[in-house]
Amino acid sequence: MSLQLETLRSVFQEISAVMHENRDYLIGLDQQNGDGDLGVSMDEGYRAVAKFLETSEETDLGKLFMQCASVFNESAPSSLGTITSFGLMGMAKSLKGKSEASLEDIASAMSAGIEKIMAKAGSKPGEKTILDSLYPAIQVLNAEKDSDSKQAFAVALDAAREGAESTKMMRSVHGRAAYYGDKSIGLLDGGSEVGRLIFEAIARYLGK
Amino acid sequence: MKKIINKPESFVQEMMEGIVAAYSDKVTTLNGDFRVLVKSTPTKEGKVGIVTAGGSGHLPVFLGYVGQGLIDGCAVGNVFASPSAQKMADMIQACDYGSGVLCLYGNYGGDKMNFEMATEMVEMDDIETRTVLVRDDVASSPKSSMEKRRGVAGMVYAFKIAGAAADKGLSLEEVARIAQKALDATRTMGVALSPCIVPEVGKPTFSIKEDEIEIGMGIHGEPGIEVKPMMQADEIASLILEKITADAPLAKGDEVSVMVNGLGATPMEELLIVYRKVHQILSDMGVSVYMPHIGEFATSMEMAGLSITIIKLDEELKPLLRAPATSPFYTNANK
Repeated sequence: MSLQLETLRSVFQEISAVMHENRDYLIGLDQQNGDGDLGVSMDEGYRAVAKFLETSEETDLGKLFMQCASVFNESAPSSLGTITSFGLMGMAKSLKGKSEASLEDIASAMSAGIEKIMAKAGSKPGEKTILDSLYPAIQVLNAEKDSDSKQAFAVALDAAREGAESTKMMRSVHGRAAYYGDKSIGLLDGGSEVGRLIFEAIARYLGK
Repeated sequence: MKKIINKPESFVQEMMEGIVAAYSDKVTTLNGDFRVLVKSTPTKEGKVGIVTAGGSGHLPVFLGYVGQGLIDGCAVGNVFASPSAQKMADMIQACDYGSGVLCLYGNYGGDKMNFEMATEMVEMDDIETRTVLVRDDVASSPKSSMEKRRGVAGMVYAFKIAGAAADKGLSLEEVARIAQKALDATRTMGVALSPCIVPEVGKPTFSIKEDEIEIGMGIHGEPGIEVKPMMQADEIASLILEKITADAPLAKGDEVSVMVNGLGATPMEELLIVYRKVHQILSDMGVSVYMPHIGEFATSMEMAGLSITIIKLDEELKPLLRAPATSPFYTNANK
């Protein structure tokens, strides 16, 4: 896959569709130990970005991702919404000046994205968050950077799925869920499911 | 859900329209954007700006403290949700009078991350900012991890005291130091009797049994320390004071201000019954009370319950609490 404006448009359309399909599922997960707005904010945030990309003519991927970050934050300023914006900002810096990105560029941009999230949210994998699916998936993607995109994202999706599943064993330390302490053990983390869904959507796009 | 509203999705906008209709000689939306409220009264050039932000559903917190001798701006989110970083950045820019801006707000994940993004945005325009987080709720985390505590009603004292410091023409550094000092001397704890309903959700997100009281519950329904059978007013007052003074001890001769704050559905009579006991306990300890605040200062929509805040005063903080302040929602002239 070579990423450019056109591809980005389709990818975000796919992510937006997947978030919309899973809106109620995510609300339900969040209501176990949060306030339930997860499904709403992810649906609204990705829809806003998809809509923005429909009409954008910007070809510099760095600038484009920076604008996506701002659009996402504007429509979904929730905790995970803002974390997502930080991720997009991290990717923007890494893609600055490029109008086309290879799989290797994408993988390293995604790494820059999660680095930014970890720095800004003060979090790391193992704390029952979106990082638990994104981190292993992006590591796999970097390892597979010389393979075919479809193959690479398929393995990354497996890693994301496994990572999300592993949050059941973890104890929440961030956000409202942290107040539930040990009671959070056994519950699947909604944020980590969002991470998995992003990779589901990319895989679905590549399979088309 | 039984609420006096039109449409759940227009809750925040229509509330803001009401504020503008009623008080536009004192406060106004920034360039017509209902997500940012600023003063419409003149501000002295060179004064340090003070801003806050947070979700709706807590009036008078947060925007109710935009006023004279208080804070200069507030970015307004949806019910219980942070406003966006862009709105915060717009507000910071509007409230910079040439000497920098203090961002003074509650310690919540969404607000914190958006403020962090916003302060990064305004750095590009060479606006100097300082951040002081409100973490007064003793029930939200043990003393060993105080940095995780949430900000609740105690932020009103911080707004008031920092606002007076800025009005005196002190520097950003000094205003931030005083805000932090006031907060270091402030502790709050609350109890809840019934939940509240977020309009767009339509049903309570938690429940409290008819004959029970939740000790230490947060203003968004975050679980407290324990659920107990319903108690009498005196017992509630004693229990809360015990927890607060265990965290920040008081000694004979100390002077404090006390806030007994209704969460939205608690009658003023009940607040006064509780204050009566608080006053008694403090008198017995030899602690005097200056300017008690009794009423609704930080609510949680129709939640029933109350919180008690104690701030220990000294020669620096006391006159700053006394200095005149007025907004459409707050005055200390009657305290």
